[in-house]
Amino acid sequence: MSSTESESETSPEVVPLRHYGRWAGIAVTLVVVAMIVHTLISKVPDPTGQTVCHLSHGKKVCQPALVWRYSWNTVGRYLFDPLVLKGVWLTLQITFWAMVIGISLGLVVAIMRLSHSRLLSGIAWSYTWFFRGTPVLIQLFFWFAISIPYPHLTLGLPFLPVTFAHINSVRLLGAMNAAIIGLGLNEAAYFSEIARAGLISVDEGQIEAATSIGMTPAQTMRLVILPQAMRVIIPPTGNEVISMLKTSSLASAIGVMELTGATQAIAAANFDTVPLLIVASLWYLFATTLMSIGQFYVERHYARGSLRTQPPTPIQRLRRDLRGVAMRVRARDAVTR
Amino acid sequence: MNAPMVEAKGVAKSYGALQVLKGLDLTVQRGEVTCLIGPSGSGKSTFLRCINHLEQHDSGVLRVEGELVGYELRHDKLYERSPKQICNQRANIGMVFQRFNLFQHLTVLENITIGQEKVKGVSEDAARRRARELLERVGLDAKEKSYPVQLSGGQQQRVAIARALAMEPKLMLFDEPTSALDPELVGEVLDVMRDLAKSGMTMIVVTHEMGFAREVANSVYFLDQGVIEESGPPAEVLGNPRTERLRSFLSKVL
Repeated sequence: MSSTESESETSPEVVPLRHYGRWAGIAVTLVVVAMIVHTLISKVPDPTGQTVCHLSHGKKVCQPALVWRYSWNTVGRYLFDPLVLKGVWLTLQITFWAMVIGISLGLVVAIMRLSHSRLLSGIAWSYTWFFRGTPVLIQLFFWFAISIPYPHLTLGLPFLPVTFAHINSVRLLGAMNAAIIGLGLNEAAYFSEIARAGLISVDEGQIEAATSIGMTPAQTMRLVILPQAMRVIIPPTGNEVISMLKTSSLASAIGVMELTGATQAIAAANFDTVPLLIVASLWYLFATTLMSIGQFYVERHYARGSLRTQPPTPIQRLRRDLRGVAMRVRARDAVTR
Repeated sequence: MNAPMVEAKGVAKSYGALQVLKGLDLTVQRGEVTCLIGPSGSGKSTFLRCINHLEQHDSGVLRVEGELVGYELRHDKLYERSPKQICNQRANIGMVFQRFNLFQHLTVLENITIGQEKVKGVSEDAARRRARELLERVGLDAKEKSYPVQLSGGQQQRVAIARALAMEPKLMLFDEPTSALDPELVGEVLDVMRDLAKSGMTMIVVTHEMGFAREVANSVYFLDQGVIEESGPPAEVLGNPRTERLRSFLSKVL
């Protein structure tokens, strides 16, 4: 800049930097998105060879019929099929009960892992080692086959000839229960690590303070440590729930007619393979979306006291954005006037 | 009961090979304020934590109100007490920490009511009433709905004092209560402690605030490397140190 260049009285205009690379990226992305949308809504000649004919100038003209490439009408037909709806319900049940087992047992394993007793922490470590180290599908097959090594289950005193109850294990452990137990025990191994991370994230000073006002170790855990550990535990647990919802599809391998099993069974009967995969995916997406929304609010609840100000909810953010737009419009109006 | 509030005889503690307390003797009468001073690593905090059994001493006798801390004497043997019994003993001893240790997930008011409700079984209404009285006493009645992160260090420490007082302790332990504070916030905490001392509370204070010790304490103990080097009235210990060790310590902190 030469020193002779005169500076204007008013402050100079700001010229924003041109982001050419970003614009090219946007263009490429838009093309790809357009291609995806196009193929999703495109139509193709009916593969079964059906034609549609109409009269034109007294002559009959026939053309191959056009159908959706992704058979959306078939998707719509099966979306609320009673078998599919029952599958959704079973999927939700498996997810819920497997998570109940996983979280409660996982918490016990985590507390054992943190115990001063080497034996307890060693057993907890072995549990995680075993269940994380074997495929969950094999675990499901095992629980489904548990009646082979244990045809009868008896309730009694260990190593003593005293029995209170005697149950046929085939009846007790149907495919559904085997799936819930298998997924739940496997989940406990993963959740115990999440819980352990949460528990050790709480400052030791909190424990000392609770102890100093006379709380028992159990009270300290329940009233002081766990509520604060939740902040660390909730986000990965949300992921686990969503993951469990999808992993529950493995139950179809042992014959449970949950969402995947049900849609596969229908597809096997009528060969509408792709539409039924889409039906299943849409339901999984719907459920995981609802869960993500729920997770947001639970996280917010447990973040109390960890931040000076709470992050806004999506609705609050929308309102704020709208207010911002309104203010900018008003400001522009004022300038133009 | 005429037993002193705290009586220590030959209290010792080691972490592995490292002996941090080498036989301490100390007596605190009811209503007295005792200050423990000394360089870091001298064992003052460890000793304070032994008094409410946050740390376990290995040998020696430690009595609070004539009762052995953490142990029971039967047939010439010291039996470890159950956690429940220790908790009951602790509820009579308030403690204030260097880093405040307020319960982060609770509001200021809940921090002060939780112990009353869950440990002492006070009703919610009564606990709140007492919490509000105490907040007024430490000058924070406007902050009851805030969370600890929203307060300054000085305010948090005053809440921590209120939390300890809510348990109606007979003895208050302060572990360097002003060491983590910005200099301009130290005064507000010392003011609260001064008022507390005036009200007749028995206090043991680990501190580097020599002005406070001189003004408020009935006696001052100087610890170095796990040993009490000097003790006595503050004017004597601080004004006329006898050992070279204390003289050099005082020249550094004053």
